[in-house]
Amino acid sequence: MTYSSEAAQEKRRSFLDPRTKLALVIVLALFVLGGLGGEMMEPIKRVLSVLPFLMLLAERQWKRFFRGLLMLGVGYGLLFVMPYLHGVLNFLALMCGGILTRFVVTIVMGEYLIATTTVSEFISAMERLHMPQAITIPMSVMFRLFPTIVEEWRAIRRAMGMRGIRLGGNRAGEVLEYQMVPMMTSSVRIGEELSASALTRGLGSPVRRTNICRIGFRVQDGILLLLCAATFASWLLELCGVKLW
Amino acid sequence: MVELKDVSFRYGSENAETQHQNSLRNVNLRIPTGEFILLTGPSGCGKTTILRLINGLIPQFYPGEIQGEILIDGQSVSNRELYDTARLVGTVFQNPRSQFYNVDTTGELAFGCENKGMQAEEIYRRIDGTVQHLHIEALMDRNIFRLSDGEKQKIACASVSVAEPDIILLDEPSANLDYEATLALRDVILRWKEQGKTILAAEHRIAYLWDLIDRAVILRDGQIVRELRGAEKDGLSIADLAAMGLRSTVQEAPAKLDLPAFQEGDEAIELYDFHFSYRGTGREIIRIDSLTLASGEITAIVGANGIGKTSFLNCLCGLEKRCKGMLRYKGKTYGRKARQRLCFMVMQDTGNQLFTESVLDEVLISLPKGTESAREKAVEILRQLDLDDLLDRHPQSLSGGQKQRLAIACAIASGREILLLDEPTSGLDYGHMMQTAELLRQVQRMGITVLVVTHDSELIRACCGRMLALTAPT
Amino acid sequence: MNKNENKLKGRDLINVGIYSAIYFVIMMAVAMLGMIPIFLPLLSVIVPILGGIPFMLFLTKVKKPGMLFLMAMIMGIMMLLTGMGPWPLATCAVAGLLAELVYRSGDYKSAKKAVLTHGVFSMWIWGNYLPLFTDYEGYFAQRQDYGQAYIDAVEKLMPLWMAPVLLVACFVCGILGGLLGRALLKKHFAKAGIV
Repeated sequence: MTYSSEAAQEKRRSFLDPRTKLALVIVLALFVLGGLGGEMMEPIKRVLSVLPFLMLLAERQWKRFFRGLLMLGVGYGLLFVMPYLHGVLNFLALMCGGILTRFVVTIVMGEYLIATTTVSEFISAMERLHMPQAITIPMSVMFRLFPTIVEEWRAIRRAMGMRGIRLGGNRAGEVLEYQMVPMMTSSVRIGEELSASALTRGLGSPVRRTNICRIGFRVQDGILLLLCAATFASWLLELCGVKLW
Repeated sequence: MVELKDVSFRYGSENAETQHQNSLRNVNLRIPTGEFILLTGPSGCGKTTILRLINGLIPQFYPGEIQGEILIDGQSVSNRELYDTARLVGTVFQNPRSQFYNVDTTGELAFGCENKGMQAEEIYRRIDGTVQHLHIEALMDRNIFRLSDGEKQKIACASVSVAEPDIILLDEPSANLDYEATLALRDVILRWKEQGKTILAAEHRIAYLWDLIDRAVILRDGQIVRELRGAEKDGLSIADLAAMGLRSTVQEAPAKLDLPAFQEGDEAIELYDFHFSYRGTGREIIRIDSLTLASGEITAIVGANGIGKTSFLNCLCGLEKRCKGMLRYKGKTYGRKARQRLCFMVMQDTGNQLFTESVLDEVLISLPKGTESAREKAVEILRQLDLDDLLDRHPQSLSGGQKQRLAIACAIASGREILLLDEPTSGLDYGHMMQTAELLRQVQRMGITVLVVTHDSELIRACCGRMLALTAPT
Repeated sequence: MNKNENKLKGRDLINVGIYSAIYFVIMMAVAMLGMIPIFLPLLSVIVPILGGIPFMLFLTKVKKPGMLFLMAMIMGIMMLLTGMGPWPLATCAVAGLLAELVYRSGDYKSAKKAVLTHGVFSMWIWGNYLPLFTDYEGYFAQRQDYGQAYIDAVEKLMPLWMAPVLLVACFVCGILGGLLGRALLKKHFAKAGIV
């Protein structure tokens, strides 16, 4: 059978359009993490909090799903046992629990966005949102470089182990410096080579860029975007003093 | 038609990357459409500089002083924006790890065309055509970070193919490739040649394309010293080439060399239970129940790209926590931690294992704690390795070969008995390759066992006495 | 090529991306500590100090207006994407703009101004703490079900007066980070030839 890139792109298409993912991240950040809105918003927030987990399930990201669930479980567990603890322990349980329950949902959503969006999808979503090249180019370089930097850092830490430079060994004080210097030297070098290669393939051209990745709104995007809109609408209504329930 | 008319060039900034590369002096070169030209010569001869002048990276990306004219189809390149030149010229670079902009292979193939604003349907059509043409169906829709170097380089070639430029530049594309992958690269180039592309390749490893080229241009110190074509090119002997500082034109598979891994009379280094799999894959890429290596010898470790040679070295050095293998040497058994003090690895990216601010300091921190007259000892080791005139240089500013020497100096200073090297001659010219071979023999004379992962048959011929071929576990 | 000398080109934008990536990875490595909430206030100390190393190197590549502001905005967007809320976006815009002005007043080369630039730039980090303060009452009012003890305890750890303290901490540590970065620049990067 001959290969068809068009069919392959269609097959690997993500459950949601990247723009929908962005909208969800922002709504979650504002309402769930940021705590906008009063009592009337509580039920909507509950629904919003469940969404990132559902999305991870829809994309079969089991590992991330269970990790998120675990963090959330630990958070609520800590808050649950907190009243029975005293002194420093009480304090710790409270802080950890409070922050975990508060941040995990949005962090899971952010993770979902980053894990399920390719560089190309991200660029094309940003372009359709009319973001300027000044934002899309640096951000796509960033996403490309993250795994490289982590890889280099790991290699350097290994090399340090082999050279016998570790905390508690010869020159413990310089451990940080010895990690940062080669890490940055090689990241910058790779970054430069990357730039050279990208520029010889026409990156930065003023021509309007096209894109082969399949993005576009489907039913699920519509439903979720409606939900986002409804969230804002009910918040506005609440501000105006209208009570829905 | 590409023309360089009396071109001279000097790099503007004293950048680490550029200071080892020489400038050009009065270069004249005419490349008619459809010709395949090889640029070769010792490191720093200016062959990469010529490619950069043609693809416009000079002066747009690497600033400097240009004299003379660089013309493509009669029009000057130097003042053109890079994205305009990109329509005519495609480039495959040396380092497979740093030339990708996308994380997925398909996105990478489409990248050049997307930048040009080509319609999606046309891009799909071209990708499908290229995939079929280069037989890379198995590489599509994959994460580039999970490909071997050979596979990455194939994707780099394919992404140039998809953009369909008339002129294709290759900047040492085979430096990190094994024998098989080099043959695959040759195949790709052959297809480009059939399509009538104008091709310029800068290479040290000339064997795999020697019979394909129309002309070989030999450079030295930024000047063209000789041009070879036809019968003159084919009539050269390996000795003639070596005299010009060039590598062999005979393509030879390392696995074909007939060397034992161990022979009667050798003192043994025994390995037991070396098993290793990447986290989360469960598939063992290394499965060695027992293996005997020769102590005090230089052993070449060969095998295809992606077979796990580097992982094997990591396990041997005790850098992989999940490898539980044991090593027996001179009547003692070494576990993982103990091996960290017995072995030293010179990594492929030597820069990642040099940390301090001067060459001398680098050796000083390697000496065991409480060494008396440490400075003298360090200087003595550096003198043996010909680095004593660089004591105050910053390690990251050294050339690749010097970094290698410095890493070996550290190994000697820390009293390691087994030295491992990972592809020490990738991207080296004939002279530097021979220097590395001599260096390894010198280390051997100090009583150190040397294991070298390589796909460089010439290096093996020059210094290795034993050879171990790694194969995939079945 | 000579016209529009001050316009950001592909290479400048890629440079912004490279250094933002290094900065962000370092920040994320530190933030892993921040997941242990007791370290949360410490982020305003550690991130500006370590961030100074890539940032000072970045400044050696900055010769045109806009690059610092761009990096700040990208940090803001990244914070939004990783779920830190919309406040960093605002502090990033302000800090980025101020950093831009400070560095320009030193003609894009003054070393002293570079250190100050990093101090000013680091103040964006403060935005990450704002959700803990802005909706102080509103947020905890909804959490009555955890009991008064919960609210009392949080108020003890993150009282309102901590807000300006954290902002000052960001700035001061930013200066320290700038000095550290400059020291490493002289000691390593200049000699290594990547400046």
